[in-house]
Amino acid sequence: MSTLLDVRDLTVRFALPRKGFFGPRPYLEAVRQVSFSLEKGRALGIVGESGSGKTTTAMAAIRLTEAASGQVLFEGQDLLSLGDEEMRAQRRDVQLIFQDPYSSLNPRARVADIVREPMDLMGLGTMEERNARVRELFQLVGLRPDQLNLFPHQFSGGQRQRISIARALTTNPKLLVCDEPVSALDVAIQAQILNLLAKLKTELGLSYLFISHDLGVVRHVCDDVAVMYLGKIVEQGSRAALFDAPQHPYTQALLAAAPSLARRKSKGYVRPLKISGDPPSPINPPRGCAFADRCPKAQDICRQTQPMLEETGGTRVACHFPGPAA
Amino acid sequence: MTDTPDYKAESPALEAWRMFRRNIPALCGVAMLTVIVLATLYGTFFYSGDPFDVVWAPHEPPGATPEFPLGTDYLGRNIVAGMLTGGGPTLAVGAAAAAITMVIGISLGALAGYYGGWVDNLLMRITEFFQVLPALLFAMVLVTLFSPSLWTIAIAIGVVSWPQTARLTRAEFLKIKELEYVTAARAIGARNKRIIWKVILPNAMPPLIVSATLTIGVAILFEAGLSFLGLGDPNVMSWGLMIGANREYILDAWWPVTFPGLAIFFTVFAVSLIGDGLNDAFNPKLRER
Amino acid sequence: MTALLEIEDLKVTFNTRYGQVTALDGVSLHVNAGETLGVVGESGCGKSITALATMGLIPMPPGRIAGGSIRLSGEELVGANPSRLRALRGADIAMIFQEPMTSLNPVFTVGDQIAEAIMLHQKVSPDQAFKDAVALLDRVGIPSPDARARDYPHQLSGGMRQRVMIAMAVSCRPKVLIADEPTTALDVTVQAQIFDLLNEIQRDFGAAIILITHDMGAISEMADRVAVMYAGRVIEEAGADDVLDHPQHPYSRGLIDCIPALGREDHALKEIPGVVPPLHLLGDGCAFADRCEHANDRCRREKPLLAAHGHHPAACHGVEEGRI
Repeated sequence: MSTLLDVRDLTVRFALPRKGFFGPRPYLEAVRQVSFSLEKGRALGIVGESGSGKTTTAMAAIRLTEAASGQVLFEGQDLLSLGDEEMRAQRRDVQLIFQDPYSSLNPRARVADIVREPMDLMGLGTMEERNARVRELFQLVGLRPDQLNLFPHQFSGGQRQRISIARALTTNPKLLVCDEPVSALDVAIQAQILNLLAKLKTELGLSYLFISHDLGVVRHVCDDVAVMYLGKIVEQGSRAALFDAPQHPYTQALLAAAPSLARRKSKGYVRPLKISGDPPSPINPPRGCAFADRCPKAQDICRQTQPMLEETGGTRVACHFPGPAA
Repeated sequence: MTDTPDYKAESPALEAWRMFRRNIPALCGVAMLTVIVLATLYGTFFYSGDPFDVVWAPHEPPGATPEFPLGTDYLGRNIVAGMLTGGGPTLAVGAAAAAITMVIGISLGALAGYYGGWVDNLLMRITEFFQVLPALLFAMVLVTLFSPSLWTIAIAIGVVSWPQTARLTRAEFLKIKELEYVTAARAIGARNKRIIWKVILPNAMPPLIVSATLTIGVAILFEAGLSFLGLGDPNVMSWGLMIGANREYILDAWWPVTFPGLAIFFTVFAVSLIGDGLNDAFNPKLRER
Repeated sequence: MTALLEIEDLKVTFNTRYGQVTALDGVSLHVNAGETLGVVGESGCGKSITALATMGLIPMPPGRIAGGSIRLSGEELVGANPSRLRALRGADIAMIFQEPMTSLNPVFTVGDQIAEAIMLHQKVSPDQAFKDAVALLDRVGIPSPDARARDYPHQLSGGMRQRVMIAMAVSCRPKVLIADEPTTALDVTVQAQIFDLLNEIQRDFGAAIILITHDMGAISEMADRVAVMYAGRVIEEAGADDVLDHPQHPYSRGLIDCIPALGREDHALKEIPGVVPPLHLLGDGCAFADRCEHANDRCRREKPLLAAHGHHPAACHGVEEGRI
């Protein structure tokens, strides 16, 4: 197995408005020194709540958001150091699908043109070959050829997501970034898209960087999982290790909070681990561990020093007191 | 798959047209404007005569002589001839001024909205500079500097009215550039030029088309105003010129001023009705009704 | 025994550009005091319309209640005069909406808004109402409620705003609390807090809760009884464990098998093909027939009625004939 994507110390900053005319410009660190790697043919899930920086991490990794520092090695080449034209050429290998199937397709273009556009832009093949490829992709994602000339608003949410997937596959990419691909869809439609993504992964040997807030979805799709909290990875490991023996209190809290069919009101369940409050503001992050304020295990050291990501019993954890839930 | 029962491609433009077709006031506007345009284009075939020629006694009231159904002006010139020949230049100046407004406004607004940062700052300061100039005064200065002709008048109107279009375009671009299909275009390697003109602009067009329609109305009024003040092209008959020339005698004879005034009123009214109709047609919220 | 809230054979129609469509086609539901009824279905199934009809908030026109009855403690609400409905709304029936940001007025402090709601239904002084508001904020678990009562909605997080909405909804101790997808806009850890809070409030106040959701996981944790809706009809109704462990209708079974929820990892994801048919294209047969692997000619011809054939009531010919 070889590494497809190796992200090292990726940091993303957003400029905030100055306080006063001559004041220094404050920054918000949305992603703070995140490192992970993705093997060929595997799916890495990045899980987190809103504001955790999971989408920004993925967008910065494929240069749709500017990174402040770090490296993104794609097949050994640092994407962040490429010139604009080189990056444009590289895009055929790196594609993405979006969360909102309603705003991700240009409402004024026919869907056949939307799916063909990447080939037009990169000058791949003749017009005949491109159109043949569009028909082939339509079939692959489960759409009918008689729908080729329709406009996006004539499709349902699930079908639009299929169009979005077809567009992303046009150039035979090696890496597909999926940003919450099913969270805007109705539950019954989610399964259709998740099964399609699973089929494409085996048939085409794709690798996924899969962003989601839904632990059930991630568990279904991903081989490896990284949990983010306030711009940092707090725990990462294989699916089995992370779901069966989570070490970080935040991961444990997420699992306890996610609705589960195994917990029944009739059986009088009590949530095993309750956490209160909201995540702290990324504008002024705490000095120590970002989760300390909500953590049942927090001690003084947690508020003073940031824990580093370290190997502990199956997963890599950033916690001063890792271990199974009490 | 059971959904999408209709396989006919329905472009957003086609849907807008369907909405527009059901809008009675807007259709009246189209009818009115069609009549006015046809009359100014072909009216002279049926009713020839130089509008500058003195043909009869001055201030002949309308209906008094069958030959001159709308009467004559203070010099004894035929008002019908003036109405029919004067419409063309008026409409042409309106359309040309609106086109100039759109070209300048959309270009600057698009660049400012898309690139943001210092480009936006610079372009918006320039826009504000033009916006705070008193429009009529500035247009008057331009027209007097470059001797009045239809072209200088159209350019002067365009130069003073683009800032509003620029602001509207910028606002639309700011909104649309955040949408995911723009990110999608970047992700498949589209260059900025393509994203601005091929992806964002077509989606920003609906409010701009509405604004362009209304700009035509404003430009026609502007041209009339300049002519009224005596700054029109004196060698070309226009509705504004007729009003301007006859305004001193309005207490003696109402008709030389009133008929071109009504013509301007109905033209601007028709254009506004069309503009409102387009506005409704492009508004997806009204479509379900 | 009559239930606290009884909806019987409710029919709601809407005028659209496709003509008149039937959004609710004979919906019958009931909920008892201290009980949570989960109403589950995909978007467009009529679950939110049911909630709005119960609140007397169907926009008319284009909507119209074409038949049926809604009784609260025996009092008929369909056709009741608007002032009576206004008096009941907020006092006896309250509702929590999906998006707490747009349901709060941005120009007033949250304390004032809760006090306002209290004064609408109770004769208390403004000072007392504000004190009650602070107490309610404390009750729904907002830290330093005194200070937060003086905050504006935008100064609070999404979870806090939903707590404010709950405080406002329970301010007059309603008998029925309708929660329409109350946590869809919230993160999972916050969702868990809101669910726990709703359960606590039910224990304390004894209110009946109608929880409208698309999430079977939420049903599992919150509901005593479940009604599954599809295309404007209730197609299955029973205790939560019955529906979750022995779903009768193929659609209910599909809804459970299609979610990758935790606690059911052993299952492969089963798809429900196609999408919910638009209301104006509903024919004579079962609305689910086109998506159902068990459908036969009878299903396409004749609408099944909700009746107990198997384990518990379901509206399905297949269950009735013992084919499923």
